Amino acid sequence: MTVWQPTDDGFADLTSHDSFIDGAPHNTFARLRREAPLVWTDWTDGEGFWSVTRHADILELNRNFKVMSSARGIRMEDQTYEEYLARRTFQETDPPEHMQTRIKVAKAFSKPVIAQFEDQIRDLCVDILDQALSDEEFDATKAIARQLPMRMLGRILGTPDEDLEWLVEKGDALIANTDPDFTEHVLDKMDTDEFRLLPFNSPAGAELYVYARDLMARKQAAGDTSGVLNLILQPGPDGSVISETEFRNFFCLLVAAGNDTTRYSIAAGIQAMCHQPELLDTLRSDDIWQTAADEIIRWASPAMYFRRTALDDLEMHGQTIRKGDKVLLWFVSGNRDDEAFDDPFRVNLARHPNRHLAFGQGGPHVCLGMWLARLEVRVLFEELVRRVKSIEPAGPHKFLRSNFVGGLKSLPVRVSLN
Amino acid sequence: MAKITWKQADGSAIEAEVADGTSLMEAAVANSVPGVIGECGGCLSCATCHVYVDETWLDKIGLADEFEDAMLDVAEAERREASRLSCQITASPALDGLVVHVPEV
Ligand code: HEM
Ligand code: FES
Repeated sequence: MTVWQPTDDGFADLTSHDSFIDGAPHNTFARLRREAPLVWTDWTDGEGFWSVTRHADILELNRNFKVMSSARGIRMEDQTYEEYLARRTFQETDPPEHMQTRIKVAKAFSKPVIAQFEDQIRDLCVDILDQALSDEEFDATKAIARQLPMRMLGRILGTPDEDLEWLVEKGDALIANTDPDFTEHVLDKMDTDEFRLLPFNSPAGAELYVYARDLMARKQAAGDTSGVLNLILQPGPDGSVISETEFRNFFCLLVAAGNDTTRYSIAAGIQAMCHQPELLDTLRSDDIWQTAADEIIRWASPAMYFRRTALDDLEMHGQTIRKGDKVLLWFVSGNRDDEAFDDPFRVNLARHPNRHLAFGQGGPHVCLGMWLARLEVRVLFEELVRRVKSIEPAGPHKFLRSNFVGGLKSLPVRVSLN
Repeated sequence: MAKITWKQADGSAIEAEVADGTSLMEAAVANSVPGVIGECGGCLSCATCHVYVDETWLDKIGLADEFEDAMLDVAEAERREASRLSCQITASPALDGLVVHVPEV
């Protein structure tokens, strides 16, 4: 088995989810970084957009939030103002408004607060692995990667354990809304606009709305003021409280953002071990854990791009991004830029420093859950290598059909145990 | 220009001449100062650029504003009176000779 290699011809259509069903079209990104680092793409289903593919350019634009706004939508798809208002979270706001919410939730997801969950994460990992490794052959995405993130998020939010499987399913339907394996309502093939005002255009959003409301009501009735959700209901420094719609959208954001990104990072790490068996040995040395999780997450880059919208004209590489233009920051491409990383197509668990962009580094929206994600990935792999002697592919893998979230939706493996 | 010194808990130090207008976080990253990461690019969203301003400089540097103050609660290392997020301090001739201490974590 060889290391996964991109198979695209270097001219993949970035507007098409089908261009990503064999993994991200990295030959195309490599060509763009070389020949057309700022490139315009026309699109039949909406307004065209600019793509930014180099590491240094992404950093430069991401920090320039005064011109590169998140407040007109963060995905390729266009939104009306009505849709934007109904669906937005603080991720779709700009500083200083963004800051009002960010500081309310930041503490709950800070490195020291998250570090306190290490033992709970380890317990969950041990349970999941004991279950999964009782078979010699299994689908590593379903049996391992899919399980941990939602169970952990449930612990942080204070949802009852018996709801966790349901939340995993809704989370899938919510964000993987372009893959028919996950939802009956495939976004780019939808003939109804019934779900237009729901988070991620998905009916799962409606169910999550109701769930979040009931959960808060039950907790309030019980006098339970713990947890992240309560934290963001407190007034900010300026005395403002977030609206009910915004709150429910934030809940959906946590379910969606904390769910499959971490899952696909774990899956990508397991796949890398299948292809570079020396990684298993590397992971058996104690001092690798400072750097290993970030390299696995760089390699995975599951949140492939986020969009900004220009609030003013901006010059770059001799071209003008016009006021109102959409701009896609392709983090997945920046993470394979050989100007920023030695040998970017190899997993090097000791890579340091590792200034990857998988968490949207370099801007105000840098991932709120990054400390949690890093901790989950580290502990999961610590426990995995403790148990597994070897791991190899046991059949063809499948990538998600999405140009937004990249990951292995199925990864059959065969393991032998220590 | 300002000469800035970053001191580590183990006694080692890195010195650099920093151009006016450059933030101390950017300067630390450019000079590979261990422990100053700056994950949000200076947008006040991460607190990974936390430093302690040397006591002798506290008066000149001043205190954190309201947002920075809130974000200091998110930092990994213990918060002290001299705590600042170094992306919010920009070099200028007035800061020539400044010493900051990188927290131990
Ligand atoms: C490996 C796993 C993860 C990856 C790769 C990832 C990636 C990202 C990226 C790229 C952004 C920036 C979006 C932008 O620039 O507009 C982001 C933001 C965000 N992430 Fe994550 N994420 C991960 C895990 C998590 C987890 C576990 C949570 C929560 C439990 C989470 C919650 C959020 C939230 C709330 C935001 C919005 C922050 C803001 O706008 O200020 N993420 N994430
Ligand atoms: S660099 Fe993120 S707060 Fe200073």
